[in-house]
Amino acid sequence: MAELSGKYLVGVYDDDDTVLHAVPRLRKAGVKIKEVYSPFPIHGMDEALGHPRTRIGIAAFMFGVTGCCVALTLMIWTMGIDWPMIIGGKDPISIPAYIPITFELTVLFTAFGMVITFFISNGLGPGTHAHPRFDVRSTDNKFVMAIDLGRNSMTVEDISRALKDSGAEEVNIKQF
Amino acid sequence: MASAHSIPSIEERFEFTSEAKRNLLIGGGVGLALVALGAYLAATGGGHEAVAHGAEQAAAAVGHAGAEHGAAGHGAAAAAEGGHHAKSWVARIWANLWVNGVYFTGMSVVGMFFISYNYLAQAGWSTVFKRIPEALPAFLPYMGVVMLLTFIFGGHDLFHWTHEGLYEVGGPEYDKIIAGKRGFLNTPFFIIRLVIYFAVWYWLWRVIRNLSLKEDEIGGTEFYEKSIRFGTAFLVVFGVTSSTSAWDFVMSIDTHWFSTMFGWYTLASWHVAGLAVITLTVVMLRERGYLRAVNSSHLRDLGKFIFAFSIFWTYVWFAQFLLIYYANLPEETIYFIERFRGHGGFYKAPFFITLFLNFFFPFLVLMTRDAKYTHSILKVACWSVIIGHYMDFYTNIMPGTVGAGAELGALEWGFFLIFLCAFAYSIASQLEKANLIPRNHPMLEESLHHDIA
Amino acid sequence: MHVTSPVREPLIQGGKTYADVTEDICRHVEGAPTKEWKIAFGISLLVLAYGTVCLAWTWWEGLGVWGLNKTVGWAWDITNFVWWVGIGHAGTLISAILLLFRQKWRTSINRAAEAMTIFAVICAASFILMHMGRPWMAYWALPLPNAFGSLWVNFNSPLVWDVFAISTYFSVSLVFWYIGLIPDLATIRDRATSKVSRFMYGTFAMGWDGSAKTWARYEYISLILAGLSTPLVLSVHTIVSMDFATSVIPGWHTTIFPPYFVAGAIFSGFAMVQNLMLITRVVYKLEDYITLEHIETMNKVITLTGSVVGVAYITEFFIAWYGGVEYEYYAFFNRMTGPYWWAYWAMMTCNVISPQLFWSRKLRRSITFTFFISIVVNIGMWFERFVIIVTSLHRDYIPSSWAMFSPTRYDIGDYIFSFGLFFTLFLLFSKYLPVVNMAEVKAVLRSTSAQLPAKIAGVAKVRQRGTAEPAFDKDKE
Repeated sequence: MAELSGKYLVGVYDDDDTVLHAVPRLRKAGVKIKEVYSPFPIHGMDEALGHPRTRIGIAAFMFGVTGCCVALTLMIWTMGIDWPMIIGGKDPISIPAYIPITFELTVLFTAFGMVITFFISNGLGPGTHAHPRFDVRSTDNKFVMAIDLGRNSMTVEDISRALKDSGAEEVNIKQF
Repeated sequence: MASAHSIPSIEERFEFTSEAKRNLLIGGGVGLALVALGAYLAATGGGHEAVAHGAEQAAAAVGHAGAEHGAAGHGAAAAAEGGHHAKSWVARIWANLWVNGVYFTGMSVVGMFFISYNYLAQAGWSTVFKRIPEALPAFLPYMGVVMLLTFIFGGHDLFHWTHEGLYEVGGPEYDKIIAGKRGFLNTPFFIIRLVIYFAVWYWLWRVIRNLSLKEDEIGGTEFYEKSIRFGTAFLVVFGVTSSTSAWDFVMSIDTHWFSTMFGWYTLASWHVAGLAVITLTVVMLRERGYLRAVNSSHLRDLGKFIFAFSIFWTYVWFAQFLLIYYANLPEETIYFIERFRGHGGFYKAPFFITLFLNFFFPFLVLMTRDAKYTHSILKVACWSVIIGHYMDFYTNIMPGTVGAGAELGALEWGFFLIFLCAFAYSIASQLEKANLIPRNHPMLEESLHHDIA
Repeated sequence: MHVTSPVREPLIQGGKTYADVTEDICRHVEGAPTKEWKIAFGISLLVLAYGTVCLAWTWWEGLGVWGLNKTVGWAWDITNFVWWVGIGHAGTLISAILLLFRQKWRTSINRAAEAMTIFAVICAASFILMHMGRPWMAYWALPLPNAFGSLWVNFNSPLVWDVFAISTYFSVSLVFWYIGLIPDLATIRDRATSKVSRFMYGTFAMGWDGSAKTWARYEYISLILAGLSTPLVLSVHTIVSMDFATSVIPGWHTTIFPPYFVAGAIFSGFAMVQNLMLITRVVYKLEDYITLEHIETMNKVITLTGSVVGVAYITEFFIAWYGGVEYEYYAFFNRMTGPYWWAYWAMMTCNVISPQLFWSRKLRRSITFTFFISIVVNIGMWFERFVIIVTSLHRDYIPSSWAMFSPTRYDIGDYIFSFGLFFTLFLLFSKYLPVVNMAEVKAVLRSTSAQLPAKIAGVAKVRQRGTAEPAFDKDKE
């Protein structure tokens, strides 16, 4: 197996439907798929690959709560405690007038927190090329399936035959 | 989820079982009994002292708010009415009829509104349960009769502006501001408007409904194209009449008060309540084994609609409140002062319950993805919104009609129950009249495969 | 399995393949600037230069160079600000609200519309800075202890709400737009032939690889961002409207302002998108992507929002009478018949009547007519803000302080500055970034294309270097 580590079998498909149907077929046949790369999101692909559901939503909610608290704390403290002032006949702490900014900061914190989480969890960042690129055409018009040979117990021939049978138009070997 | 769709049969007839009919009739009967009980309690003087006492406080609070002539006059009028005990419980009955009439009218007409904007936007997803919104407006004629009769016989108790004395120049009751509104607020014109609203809404619904039923039999896209036209016509009509009817039915009760937002605010309230009724009906039908073609994606979308339009209602509510609160003009602020401090503080609770049931609760409950297709959560959220918007109309209508004489007791819930059961009865008998799924709708195939995973 | 009803009109013409989409959009980014682009860019720079001079003089000399007076203390400056912010609403509407409503037609126009939004908000922000007179004091608007003493900004002030609203809106829109750009930047990076562009696009593509996991998260955060942007976009113009509506000035203080401003903003924004897209589509030969269906749909939205605005006008007018407040009534009556009657009737004609012409199917499918009406709508929406702001102010409570406003060359010059800025930025965008969201168009291609080619993937026209390692073929091994 050792000589296979870092070696990938790359199946290139030219149709999103074909690759979507190929995934469950190959997985059933015992092929362990590393990832599928596509120029646009394919509906149902992450489920077919068995990826767990993303939990970014929970993070986003937390960021939102933080933003909400920051805004209210800031305004209640500055307007009501640090330098209390009566403006327009309203109480120093007048919650209705704080709601617009509370809303804005909630949205701001949620959006930025979530996007930063997204970048970190995907390893995206300026100048990063964290992921090996198996085939540059996967950002244009091809759908590329990568199979880590080091993690598969099947033979290269069996996998590539399975790939071809599932509709791959090319099967390449990529070494990193 | 994406792959294995087995589409259940699209031929299904809803059966309005005799058991369901009996249950609804029992519900209505219970409502009637509650009304009778409530009326008896009210007439024999339960809470009499509270009434008189509340009226004094209201007058005091209103005066205290620094209101000018108009507002003070209004407060005095409210106090005077509160004082007339014999009148107050009758007024309470009329007011209850009016609250429910306005509310259920809104929920019925929103069925038509929903269909119309779905046609105009060429929405595909909603087709599979289209028969449910389509069934709601059948209730409109009944509501039209209830509201017309309530206005004719009880209008004097409900609408301050129907008092002739207000318009007698130099008379003791003369009110310059109200007199200035006479061109709009007068009995004949009001009745004409009321009749026009119901006639036009109902007629357009009949047209669309008939097209839809014919489409079921004949097929083709001709009915679809025609429905888009009539749906658009309805939107044009409703775009104006939703605002004017809100001014008529609700805003004119507090005759002095005005708010340009009020029409859209009422529409937002009606709309989200109507969505809750649609969703609740879909869920209940599914629980009884119907509408298996409605999948979790449809339910999630319905859940999103309720979620989004609860927030929208809150936005409109808050924008109106904030601007009045901020500018603090007496002739506007009186509206909220009356609900906060007036009438012995009675309306403070309904006021905040409204906010809780219509915003916080559905917002928190429907936030997660799975909640939006879980039957039990959807049902709780729908009921929260349906009761919440009843409270909304209650808080808007009651202070100006019965004022301190208001209660939230057997009478109120009895009436609500009667209307609710009647509405359910009307919906169910409409559903029975046609195939539950519009089998020849050109968007049906798309809707059956609706999948947002 | 996805099904599209046959009653839907196709959105993409020309039997495009995925490769065609990449090629058609990337061509403009990769090629040298065209002559038309250079001329347009030159003109924009000239306009910008003229505006910059005017602006510099405004700041050097002080706000006295504007035509403001004691009665009308707020005129073109705030009119232009509201106008630009309003225009800046369409992009987020198209990308967020229409994403939530799953309107597929938005995919062809959302990129340019969002870019337009961002530039319009920049223009709007420039008016805030102009307003300050001393822009180097701009940090005073931030929640810092005032002048680093002990006083804070007044969080009760709608103008401070505005600072938060506009900056949140701008930054969230920018992020949303950028997230949408990343996959397309990666496409350009992978096609790039020169080292410089590979480096530049590669840096901004952030190492995007289009894996299923990334796409799943990408779609998820797009939805959440859309869900956040929807109330955000409403809140921005709501808060802008509150700059006026929280006051007690007749004609300003009316509760319908928040949603009515939002509707007006969408209305004007769509008109601006329509203008820009009609030009872009011809210049970049995108007729297959931005079809008559798109134009017609946008015209329908213009008619809808125009009608909503019309209902709001009538409501305001009715309530001004109904309310029985004489000052309020006078303010509205004066708009119609007072010395600024021409502004009022220009607003009414342009905003309420002109979009109603789109009820005719023939007119709303006419490109020339659409272009014309879009300009008319934007003129009308400028007049709307002018009417709201200036006519409400120019009649003070005491007749002796009644005044009129006339713009000086600096009012006009500063307005021209914003046009120069806007078009310069938009032209730079349209040259260096893909004007259509390729990934999203590809994603809906199958369900929206008029005629699908035999092989939807197509053959990539540009052969990349170093792509193909020899195909693995068992028989040859």
